[in-house]
Amino acid sequence: MIKKTLAWLSILLFAVFSIYPMLYVLSVSLRGDNAFQSHSLEIFTSTSTVKNFIDLFVNTDFILWMRNSLLVATMTTLLGVAFASTSAYALSRYQFRGRNMMLFSLLATQMFPATMLILPFYIILSKLRLIDSFWGLFIIYSSTALPFCVWQMKAYYDTIPKELEEAALLDGCSPWKTFYKIILPVSSPALVITALFSFMTSWSEYVIAAVVLQDPQLYTLPLGLRSFQASLATQWGLYAAGALIVSIPVLILFISISRYLVSGLTMGSVKG
Amino acid sequence: MNIATAHAEPVRIQLWHQMIYGHRQVLAEALRAFEKENPDIVVQETYRETEELRSSYQAAAMGGSGPELVYGPSDQIGPFAAMNIIRPLNELLEKDYFKQFDPLATPLYQEKYYMIGGGVGNHLMLLYNKKLLSQPPQTSQELIEIGQKMTADLDGDGKIDRFGLVFNYTEPFFFAPFIPAFGAPFMTGNTEPNLGTPALQKTFEFILDLRDKYKIIPKECDYETANALFKQGKAAMLINGDWSWGDYKEARVDFGIARIPMISETQRWPSPLVGTAGYSVNANIRSPEHLAATLKVLKYLTSEKVQLLFTERVGVLPSLLSLRANPLVKDNPLLQVSSQIMEVGTPMPVVPEVRAVWDSLRIQYQKLLAGSVTPQAAAQEAQSMAKAQIHDMNEVIQPDASAFIIKGLILAGILALLWMSRNSVGHFIQGFRGPQKFVYYMMLPAFVGIFAVIIYPFFYNIAISFSNFSLRTFQDWSIVGVQHYVDALTDPKFYSLLLKTVIWTVVNVFFHVTLGIFLAVIINQVMPAKGFWRTLFIIPWAVPQYITALTWRGMFNQEYGPINIFLQKFLHLSPVQWLSQPFTAFTACIITNVWLGFPFMMIVALGGLQSIPHSLYEAAYLDKANAWQRFRHITLPLLMPVMIPAALLGCIWTFNNLNIVWLVSNAGEPGDQTHILVSYVYKAAFNLYRYGYAAAVSVLIFLILVGWSLGSLVRQYNKEKKV
Repeated sequence: MIKKTLAWLSILLFAVFSIYPMLYVLSVSLRGDNAFQSHSLEIFTSTSTVKNFIDLFVNTDFILWMRNSLLVATMTTLLGVAFASTSAYALSRYQFRGRNMMLFSLLATQMFPATMLILPFYIILSKLRLIDSFWGLFIIYSSTALPFCVWQMKAYYDTIPKELEEAALLDGCSPWKTFYKIILPVSSPALVITALFSFMTSWSEYVIAAVVLQDPQLYTLPLGLRSFQASLATQWGLYAAGALIVSIPVLILFISISRYLVSGLTMGSVKG
Repeated sequence: MNIATAHAEPVRIQLWHQMIYGHRQVLAEALRAFEKENPDIVVQETYRETEELRSSYQAAAMGGSGPELVYGPSDQIGPFAAMNIIRPLNELLEKDYFKQFDPLATPLYQEKYYMIGGGVGNHLMLLYNKKLLSQPPQTSQELIEIGQKMTADLDGDGKIDRFGLVFNYTEPFFFAPFIPAFGAPFMTGNTEPNLGTPALQKTFEFILDLRDKYKIIPKECDYETANALFKQGKAAMLINGDWSWGDYKEARVDFGIARIPMISETQRWPSPLVGTAGYSVNANIRSPEHLAATLKVLKYLTSEKVQLLFTERVGVLPSLLSLRANPLVKDNPLLQVSSQIMEVGTPMPVVPEVRAVWDSLRIQYQKLLAGSVTPQAAAQEAQSMAKAQIHDMNEVIQPDASAFIIKGLILAGILALLWMSRNSVGHFIQGFRGPQKFVYYMMLPAFVGIFAVIIYPFFYNIAISFSNFSLRTFQDWSIVGVQHYVDALTDPKFYSLLLKTVIWTVVNVFFHVTLGIFLAVIINQVMPAKGFWRTLFIIPWAVPQYITALTWRGMFNQEYGPINIFLQKFLHLSPVQWLSQPFTAFTACIITNVWLGFPFMMIVALGGLQSIPHSLYEAAYLDKANAWQRFRHITLPLLMPVMIPAALLGCIWTFNNLNIVWLVSNAGEPGDQTHILVSYVYKAAFNLYRYGYAAAVSVLIFLILVGWSLGSLVRQYNKEKKV
């Protein structure tokens, strides 16, 4: 009994730890700009107002940023899933020259401080005339998410019994057909993780977007939100309201796929 | 409209600026009017936050492009001119053109004009709330007296509800006006720091006294806090610049402005830095057509018409001398007082060295505020630090013997690669037709993507790490050898940072993993509605990192952050100075990152738990093993294979996690004592222009991580083999 109480107690404590910051953002977003500083811990006060949310949609380009972000994130996810699922399959099933090298260098890419890559990115993109173009972002985002996604997908493919494809190949299926008719459908948990990762990379990325996109018509959400944060006059209320809304799509995504999350992230390492 | 203009493509001019919200609207209006009159030119304006404007303009200019016009504070022309990425305007405009402006709006750098300001000012002054006091203080003594009277706990809850004075005093710019008032300027001879003076020491003591002895300023006060307190009437006086007026007018604060009070001890007025924010022209404009259009826009934006628009709408003091007699300027009481305040001001230095002076001043000043150095030591230390930084920033490293070797090695490397790939390229192309063509097609997109986005930039950085790429060699850097590596490896700072980074990584990953396992076990064994809890604990993972970081920064605020409020209200503890003490600031970063990282580990652990066969636990029950024994002998060993790869990856990510440290500690505050290696690299590259050095340290980081991960993989492999 005591054990149960302790368990409940600690889990409730952690629940507060994990959701309070979001409640705090909510509370700031509901305060008027002038009441940003407060000595009270209450989330809702008598002066709470949804004005910031209305302002966000009516007086700023929030909807435009949202649309741009959705476009970028969707496209990145599609590309990321396509690249990761195919190359991971090759790495999992075939022996070829440079295979181990490829696997290690994928891991090694995570070890270089990412911020130092911005300058070369800019040079490549301006040479390719991809500044101010979503294509620049698609390519960078889907490729930077690749190392994790490929490892993830490979670990999962490794757990799928080879017999499954061997039968299909014997029946005269081409390798490609075997891949997308037989393997892909049973890999959904891993595909979902890959999709989620690619989506998250692009949805909340700021530094690269700031370099690539210069036309305000192309701004993504993080860039848009940042513009409320002028160095000497931040519009905290608007920023908080925006921050909350930015988090919601990801949250919905997480909730709707949390079933897959558990098996997708661990399957490979458990059996492989 | 005739056919010719209807078909001609308009010239597109880009303008990057960092104007605050109210000014942005005026700018947009002016530009749209310009486009109407000049259908052959389209101007596209882009807002960038000041620091970011600087770094993205540098990156863009290096790529040979960037906006035609860049608008920013005058102190950015020093570095830009040193890098040769903005054009001297003397070459473009007739000599007399500059004479019509206030000299403050056309600052000279090495005898050349690089910028024209649309207004002058940007200087600090005392703003006071007229509801609370009718007359502003004239001397520092009065300031203290009035301040003490105004600082009050109004509702008797033991907390101060109204402060006498608020301002962003941790920032050197806001504190700089006092230094000359205590007797000596903070720079001499244009580029020499002059910080080790009794004047600076006295200034330090003055601020400490305001905070600790007279208690008229809050213990922690950044710009936002000061701003909000003044707007809410919770501060009687505020030190802020002319840019802020609009904000307070909008908030309906009845305020007056005055000089920052004279220092009673020396009978001298504090001297705010007066500068301009203005337009500069990109050095990369190639076509004469673009250049002509750019100048047309530049002239328009500094014309009488546009300047008056800014004066009328947001109260900017025009830079055109002809406008000073205009009724809009002459009859505006704020502008009149403001220009009197400017009389005691100092022109803002524009040389790149200023940055090093600010940076060292900030670092030592914050250490002083945290109580870890004496005023005297802080002043001395600031001076030697500024000198060292200026030296590093301006250094142009000459190639030495190692340059030959490095160049030779690079050449040999390229030749070796060509030799090796002479067959491989053929093989590679044939591969698309050969028996393994399926593999080739499957790998191709990822291969191309990773090569372009990761491998190429990586080698590019290696080249930079051997070069003298920095402020003075921005356009023409060359390979000079291994000096940066020698510098880094012989600097004790590198090792202390490495140690701190290791601590940061170990503590974070330890908490991520243990919390993750702990929660997973509880959810899995005890809790009903597992899905609900799982979802609840995923929330931190789903929130974008930059939002997380800024949110926690707000929560750690000493006075208004919920964490301290909670500590005081419910645990009756005294408030913790989270962000102004090095240890607690670093702890704050760790707490934030723990919050961010435990969900991932929890999900991995949950997956691991589900794969443990139930029969093992049943057997343990029969053996009368208790809960701890079951956990210790069944759960933990079987979770390990799942957790170890995740923890490994977690270590790599945490080691290189820039966002949290940078944003929570506001770029290493207090006093640069919260840096880990990556944030240190970021600062060296983007704030101090030491690209070569930063690249070398990044390569070292890379090597450390590769070495470590190979080591642990090998150990893991050996262990598994033994079992």
